[in-house]
Amino acid sequence: MELAPVFDWLYNQLSALGLGDTLNNLISLIVVSVIVFGFLCLVALFLVWWERKISAHVQQRFGPMMTGWHGALQTVADAVKLLQKEDITPAIADRNVFFWAPVVCFTCAFAAYVVIPFGDGLIVSDLNIGILYIIAITTFTIISLLMAGWGSNNKYALLGGMRSAAQGVSYEVPLVLSILGVVMVTGSMSMNDIVRAQSGWGGFHWNVFFQPLGFLIYVTAATAETNRTPFDIPEAEQELVAGYNVEYSGMKFAMFFLAEFINMFTVSAITVTVFLGGWNGPFLPSWVWFLGKTLFMVFIMMLFRWTYPRLRVDQLMEFSWKVLLPLAFLNIVYVGVFAKWLNW
Amino acid sequence: MAEQLRTEEMMVNMGPQHPSTHGVCRLILTIDGEVINDCVPVIGYLHRAIEKICENRTYAQCIPLMDRFEYVTAMSCNWVFALAAEKLSDIEIPERAEYLRVIMAELNRMASHLLCIGVTSMDIGALTPFLYTFREREMILDLFEMTCGQRLTYNYIRVGGVSRDIPPEFVPMCRQFLDIIDAKVDDYERVLTENPIWIARNKGIGIIPEQMVYDYAISGPSARASGVNFDIRKHDTYSIYDRFDFEVPVFYGCDSYDRYRARIAEVRQSARIVRQALDGLPDGPVRAKVSMNFKTKPGEVYTRIENSRGEMGINLISDGSRKPFRVRARGGSYNHLMALPDIVRGTKIADLVAIFASLDIIMPEIDR
Amino acid sequence: MTKEQLTRHIKENFSAELDVIENEQPEPYFIIKADNLVKFCRFIHDDPGLVMDFLMNLSGVDTGERFEVVYNVCSYRLKHRIYFKILLDRQNAEFDTVRSVWPAADWYEREVWELFGMNVRGHPNLTRFLLPDDWDEGHPLRKDWVGKDVIPFPER
Repeated sequence: MELAPVFDWLYNQLSALGLGDTLNNLISLIVVSVIVFGFLCLVALFLVWWERKISAHVQQRFGPMMTGWHGALQTVADAVKLLQKEDITPAIADRNVFFWAPVVCFTCAFAAYVVIPFGDGLIVSDLNIGILYIIAITTFTIISLLMAGWGSNNKYALLGGMRSAAQGVSYEVPLVLSILGVVMVTGSMSMNDIVRAQSGWGGFHWNVFFQPLGFLIYVTAATAETNRTPFDIPEAEQELVAGYNVEYSGMKFAMFFLAEFINMFTVSAITVTVFLGGWNGPFLPSWVWFLGKTLFMVFIMMLFRWTYPRLRVDQLMEFSWKVLLPLAFLNIVYVGVFAKWLNW
Repeated sequence: MAEQLRTEEMMVNMGPQHPSTHGVCRLILTIDGEVINDCVPVIGYLHRAIEKICENRTYAQCIPLMDRFEYVTAMSCNWVFALAAEKLSDIEIPERAEYLRVIMAELNRMASHLLCIGVTSMDIGALTPFLYTFREREMILDLFEMTCGQRLTYNYIRVGGVSRDIPPEFVPMCRQFLDIIDAKVDDYERVLTENPIWIARNKGIGIIPEQMVYDYAISGPSARASGVNFDIRKHDTYSIYDRFDFEVPVFYGCDSYDRYRARIAEVRQSARIVRQALDGLPDGPVRAKVSMNFKTKPGEVYTRIENSRGEMGINLISDGSRKPFRVRARGGSYNHLMALPDIVRGTKIADLVAIFASLDIIMPEIDR
Repeated sequence: MTKEQLTRHIKENFSAELDVIENEQPEPYFIIKADNLVKFCRFIHDDPGLVMDFLMNLSGVDTGERFEVVYNVCSYRLKHRIYFKILLDRQNAEFDTVRSVWPAADWYEREVWELFGMNVRGHPNLTRFLLPDDWDEGHPLRKDWVGKDVIPFPER
């Protein structure tokens, strides 16, 4: 059954009720935003709990067990605690920049969900520049890191923020190039089209089988984009320079923290959409397949964190520019040659 | 271009508190951008005046004090002091006591190396091997608790032997532990040794050239990773180590990676020694008859043993009374920290944490 | 080399006078004059038959009547060791640094200066080390040192 994107569907239903155009738009927008926002908050809560449980079981211990069933309400408890903390702004900080940095970070993390296809027709709005929009929005997060570093007016935070920004910008290039390979084959930047192009052949039409190198480059670059280990030196506690969020406490810190988990979910969702067939799959409803595959990719990224040591900053940059970038170009050449030759 | 850009040096404090278990050591770094120009260690936060206190305690009362000298390998600290007192007197140690001393000291060496490997990997960012090595260390601490009731400061190896015999459950449990330790060490190696990120963070980092080892009197795994084949158990044999068949692993890379490999290899060799000691454990008393008024002959002696951090030595000067006249305790980390400024000059800050962890510096040994 | 060989080798080849003390330990025990200290150290370090390059320990001793500084030296390559010391006057205890022979003596001598009050000639960095920065209560390891809050340990 061909479902229309959610926003369009809602708009049509409301216009059938006879409301005016502006009011229609407004109500549709608000309802859709609330639904997406609610879903993402639940996702963030779930992922924080899941990370703690996975890290615990990897390290042969239990993790949170007391609050709720196997510690399921632990994140709620932590959020309540963080809400009660005093919101400290350092006296010498640049107040406006300091205030808006976590807001920008959080907003950009959410704004990417306009084009993520959660299932067959379960997409807020099927923009025809879908994947380009996501890449643009996630790049805004880097600006928020710079704002955090600058606004704290602390030389260590500034250094940490600039390092994070340098890392983010360097890893954008191989990330975009690996997605470019898929866009070349699909012929369209719309997320729905990319998912539809991967249906059929009993699951073997997924892009990961045709562009394995692109998949690996994307996963590596995405881990670096979201500042996860092994690329998390800007946030590491054991290092001298503490990172861009050293001056943040309370709810502002919670916003950066939750935005990191939302980003991880975004990046996994994009991996699934672009390389792993999106919501395609037999028997079960499409959104179950999507969630299952995305959580699997999130699980892989969490395993990375608890297994690998972290790279030093110069080694990290060297890896991006000297290893990933040439491989990404190689990938493009390979896709171009084979796509033309085999008429994919 | 580099000459035209005027950069300033910044003085940065790596404060007494550290996120990992190195103890309280303050490093005052002078950095130029990312490169360290100078490093001055400031110590003394853990100075408890052990040497002064020992001058007013009998030999038996000094043993628990020496536990706290270096609490990660407390058995070795007990042993070196007991050895020093025994060298200045006519006591003969029973065979069973010697074997038990060797077993306890080697188990303690394994526990200490496991701790060091875990902490080093935690500092570099791999948080999981820390919990895996501590899981094995818990098994060793259970063995100790079964024997002397303590997990960290044992007060077990006394003048004349050991304080009490092992319970009957000790030997089967120890053998069980030894059966699994080789497979577990293989596990750690699988996570770390061939890992390209681990190699990138450790190879070529923290070079201690051979001449620096001689200059700063560095000993232990750090010296053996620089190609200096010196192990007091083989080259200045004390107790019954000449009866056991074990190797001394020597590597020639002089860097953090080889120090890590030296420690892993030593864990395996210690397991070998414990297995042989358990096989040859004789029956008999565990302590020679030592009276309450134990007095040594007047004299001076310097005794040393191979600790997991290097050479641990006691310079004991006795005037023939119940109390030692002067005890001077020397630990291996002292020289490592002395050499640290020369090792880190010119490296990056991110490497300093890795180097500091790989040198396995424990502060109470330095401050006493 | 064995103890007898070491003793003979050093006595024959070292030009200034030194005392050999009989002891039961497996290493020879010498007493050197404080003025010959650096010369002796350089001799045992450079002599190809001795190669004493491992300064294991350097400690100060307060015998009540005088100060002593005890040196324990060993050889990485030849594995033998000796034990020697110098005797100093209590009133103006001074000795030369041996950092030029073994750089490891750096912190050992600093500690001896701090805890005993013996002056080390030629040491570039005699600053506060183990004791707190604002310590002004004397030199603790001396036998006649009395601390402000020290409670004597009861005899048993």
